[in-house]
Amino acid sequence: MGRILLATSAVVLLLLLVVVSAPTPSRVAPEHSQAVHQPAIQDKVDLRTLQARYKVLSKQLSQLMPHQPYILVDTARNRLYVKQQEQVVLDAIASTGSGTILDKPGEGKNQWIFDTPRGEFLVKSKLTNPTWIKPDWAFVEEGLAVPQNAADRAEQGVLGEYALGFGKGYFIHGTLYTRLLGKNVTHGCIRLNDSDLKGVYKLARVGTPIMIF
Amino acid sequence: MNLCAILLLLAFTTPSWGKDIEAFPDLNLNNPHELKEATRVLEEELKLAARPQTYLLIDLGGSMIHIKGRGIGLHQIPIIAWASGSRENLKGIHRLVARPSVVRRKIEPGAGVEQEPISLVDMPTDYVLSFSPSLSVTVVPSVSSDSLLQSVVLLGKVGWRNMKDWTSGLLTHRSSEPMSHLRLTLSVDHTQSLAWSLVDGMALVIRRPTDK
Repeated sequence: MGRILLATSAVVLLLLLVVVSAPTPSRVAPEHSQAVHQPAIQDKVDLRTLQARYKVLSKQLSQLMPHQPYILVDTARNRLYVKQQEQVVLDAIASTGSGTILDKPGEGKNQWIFDTPRGEFLVKSKLTNPTWIKPDWAFVEEGLAVPQNAADRAEQGVLGEYALGFGKGYFIHGTLYTRLLGKNVTHGCIRLNDSDLKGVYKLARVGTPIMIF
Repeated sequence: MNLCAILLLLAFTTPSWGKDIEAFPDLNLNNPHELKEATRVLEEELKLAARPQTYLLIDLGGSMIHIKGRGIGLHQIPIIAWASGSRENLKGIHRLVARPSVVRRKIEPGAGVEQEPISLVDMPTDYVLSFSPSLSVTVVPSVSSDSLLQSVVLLGKVGWRNMKDWTSGLLTHRSSEPMSHLRLTLSVDHTQSLAWSLVDGMALVIRRPTDK
């Protein structure tokens, strides 16, 4: 009887040991769920960090955009716009560079290329009733000798009532040849009709950005 | 209290504060891969937008080429189709070595004959753009009767260019970087429009699509 009791106790103890040592679902589940939840929480944190970074960078980019009116010139389609952020304040038909070339006399292979420069520029000067100081190419193109006297280069009334200089001798100005507006005919300057020129002159300040593409 | 009111007023009246400008409106803000790519591109673009220049952003995910300056979209050119080798090498800022060449008409001094100006129709419709560091972008028009022949010719051009780069690398004993390729299919007008707008040394950033 004693032996039977001892054997039964041993079996019960063994069973208890097995039950206790066996992985129960209730024990495994928290460990397992922790293993799943930990990266999920981490992913969420990463996502929020990325979203925040994206917002910050977007804001930084928008802060580089001009918040005052700027001039946009499309040389392929000969259009000039004055824009304030996304809004078009003025839309004008223009004439831009012809892309033709002219040899510089006595300078071997050096040439003038009559392109409107592309990139970002600033309005550097605002002139009323500007006088055109004819550059060398204007005389060479006509087959004339380049004058030695500076006064012989001055020509009145060909640039319209206003001119906005944006560096290296390039201007936004008026024209006598309004029938050529919308075409690539200039030596690099940007021509407008009188009323559009007046509008641009009023809207632009010295320092206004000019984006040309 | 008054200070708070002033700050609140400023937040709603100052354009850059009151309005959140999304750099990529098509972006899925819940996709970490898209976000990572967008932030990478924005980091690159911020460097370019901080300087007075125009630059290119090729958005492969949005199928659009953007000509930009100071972060502003100046002009957009839709991409019909594109293909690339390894997308890994499309990261970073690339600079255009030279814009596509165009035949310019010469003015004869004193001839009194007005030379025909260059216009969009004079621009090439298929061309290969070389960028530094090593990247070549092949631009092809979408509509073409002899597209097979054109593809063969373009493939030859790219192959020839790669061979030249490889041999010059051998001759100068410099380690040749792996050349990345991108092929863009645009409408005929847009191939010419892109060629027109390019400037020597123009910077390029590419936004790569993420596999969803």
